[in-house]
Amino acid sequence: MSRRHHRKQRFKLRSLYVWHRYMGLSAALVATLVAATGILLNHTEDFDFDSRHVQADWILDWYGIEPPADLLSFPLADRHVTLMGEHLYLDRKEIEGEYRDLVGAVLMGDIFVVAISNSILLLTPRGELIERLQGEDGVPAGMKRIGTDAEGALVVQGSHVLYRTDKDFLHWRHADSPASSIRWARPGALKPQLQSTLQQHFRGEVLPIERLILDLHSGRFFGKLGPWVVDAAAVLITLLALSGTWIWLKRRR
Amino acid sequence: MLNRLITALSLALLCADLAARGVYQQPQDFLSDTFEGGVPEAAVIWLTGARKQVVTELLGHSYTSLRVRYWARDQRSAWVLEEIGKEQPITVGLVISQGQLERIKVLEFRESRGWEVRHSFFTDQFRNARLDKGRNLDRDIDGISGATLSVRAMKKLAALALYLDGELRAQDVQASP
Repeated sequence: MSRRHHRKQRFKLRSLYVWHRYMGLSAALVATLVAATGILLNHTEDFDFDSRHVQADWILDWYGIEPPADLLSFPLADRHVTLMGEHLYLDRKEIEGEYRDLVGAVLMGDIFVVAISNSILLLTPRGELIERLQGEDGVPAGMKRIGTDAEGALVVQGSHVLYRTDKDFLHWRHADSPASSIRWARPGALKPQLQSTLQQHFRGEVLPIERLILDLHSGRFFGKLGPWVVDAAAVLITLLALSGTWIWLKRRR
Repeated sequence: MLNRLITALSLALLCADLAARGVYQQPQDFLSDTFEGGVPEAAVIWLTGARKQVVTELLGHSYTSLRVRYWARDQRSAWVLEEIGKEQPITVGLVISQGQLERIKVLEFRESRGWEVRHSFFTDQFRNARLDKGRNLDRDIDGISGATLSVRAMKKLAALALYLDGELRAQDVQASP
């Protein structure tokens, strides 16, 4: 082999080495991010990433997550029953489940009675569910409003007539009282501080950590170009593996 | 050809999924089947204090509500209880007669898998089951491959109904805490 040819080979190898280095440096940041998020995704259940939610305001802002504008609240003594989106709250305590169509709420002794989603929830002052009464339990269909009569019994206005329950909410019958004598539940304004707290809580229940990690892993977190950048990094890593192998083979010779 | 095969397979899977979910019997119909001559008045048992603790031990978590409805007559009680299989609650009707499980029936199944627990070849295993001193079922219940969580939920509900029935018989249950 001539001296000139040998010099040419060395030049090629050095050039490949330079390319190898630049490709490595270019892909390093994205590769690290993809590797780290990949490890985290492998342990989603171990760390409850699927049930825990992102609380950081700047991330929620980045995703454009806003609390819903529709908010309905019923003040009861110094407490509030509030529906925000599909989340139901007794003051700041969220009641488990998804709800819609809050008809009204009344306080009977120390039981909060909430007519919502075609059912009636009985709640303790701590927000624990005593029972959810539904159609098969006698709850009238098409509830329009709820209230209490002069004897303190629960009254519900159905599609056409009024219904009344016993003190244990077990038996329903037509109410004799005229609608004008019923103290109906009325919605009211929410204290600004409580409203702000609920809105913050709502935002903090929307985005699971798993979704954030997935978006970082795929590059979608960074917008439309993100996935292309990750794809480019993947191509670079592949080339890196090939060029590294090539350099190693050449050096062995 | 391949597209048709994929479409056919997808449809088959979708049909299987839809077939799994459903209301098999309304609670009111279950109660009517259970009590001849009319369904007795409903009553409630509160899951508070020590009872709440026992229920939590039986289920591995607290029950969804603080009071449970039941219907009882002549040493028999009927219960409509719910327990989550994997993600969705399974509604189950249970009848206890003199401390023994007379009947267990899936009334509504909402999960996409594990619906086999509704079949009689599985539910018949619970017939005449009792609770032992450790509040476990007095017999082994054979599982169903692919329905482990639903089987577990059924066993928990059987134990819960037997325990609550025992509470009814052990003392006069107050209608309020």
